[in-house]
Amino acid sequence: MLLTETTIDPAEFLTGTGWEAKPEGLCKGDMCVPAPEAVTADGQLDVETIAERLGMALVSDSESGVKALGPESGGRALTTAVVPELELTDMDGNPFKLSSLHGRKVLLVAWASW
Amino acid sequence: MPGWQALHEEFEAKGLTVLTVALDLEKSKAQPWVDEASPTHPSLIDPTHVIDRALGIVNVPMAVWIDETGTLVRPAEGASIEVSPLRSAEIPEETPDRLKALLTEVKKMPDTAEAYRDAIADWVEHGADSAYALTPEEVVARSQARPPEHSKAAALFELGCHLFETVGKDAAVPLWKEAHALHRENWTYKRQAWTLESTAEGEPSDLMQEVGDVYGTSWLDDVMALGGGENYVVVPTLD
Repeated sequence: MLLTETTIDPAEFLTGTGWEAKPEGLCKGDMCVPAPEAVTADGQLDVETIAERLGMALVSDSESGVKALGPESGGRALTTAVVPELELTDMDGNPFKLSSLHGRKVLLVAWASW
Repeated sequence: MPGWQALHEEFEAKGLTVLTVALDLEKSKAQPWVDEASPTHPSLIDPTHVIDRALGIVNVPMAVWIDETGTLVRPAEGASIEVSPLRSAEIPEETPDRLKALLTEVKKMPDTAEAYRDAIADWVEHGADSAYALTPEEVVARSQARPPEHSKAAALFELGCHLFETVGKDAAVPLWKEAHALHRENWTYKRQAWTLESTAEGEPSDLMQEVGDVYGTSWLDDVMALGGGENYVVVPTLD
């Protein structure tokens, strides 16, 4: 996910990465990683601490200061079989939440023009 | 796209929704394909490859299966339901060498179209009891490995997409190049970047992707470097 600051609101972090800050730590699906030092005094999340704890690469553009945080690493591409809440847009530009298809089987197919 | 739309129509009443996601940085390139298929299924666009990071997609076409509770029952794997006509096409003698070599590698790609289609039908019919529906532990274990360099590749690709939109292509190329080197098996990072060099405006995308001037490689050179067409697809294990 893209970032401009070194701290981030927990709700934004959840949307961007699928990881939720809970009392027991940072959680994704059924997996939790203790990270008491990741929460700042004002309830924000410290990006560098989390990046280190979860193996997320953090790169930045020196001109604009914009940063990108990669996904967790050090294991498999999937940390859990629970699908994170993904919000993409349809071809008309409307937001589409994957969770809107709960109750149905979904075959999610990646394709491209190239 | 027409094939996925037909699959959606076939199984929609039985509880399956096909969801197609275009990994196109430029929506205008994906649009004609979508228009042609007139999808009644959800047709989405993911210009910065969110689903690479979240689901482990590394090439197209690839798919994941998600059950009614929002749990994956198959990880990202090659997803083909129609045998490519390129597979059975004769390669004419007069074909230029590079194209001949490329078509030879395409023919080596494992073809699981028929078995994969049957597996989907079996899952729609039997749900969790289908032999093709994996347990959560199997799904995680069978997903691709993700070492730290793949995380960095994902971050660089996304930052490159941001610079492409805000500054221009030249600003993005060095980041994409580094991403390609860090995660060589991710063809979506490569093919997306390469097509911006190898496809002329208004032309259909170029199979060859000869991008030596900018990226020092081509589709064929990278396929060969990774062991040939046999290794190009994440083959679904369907036994």
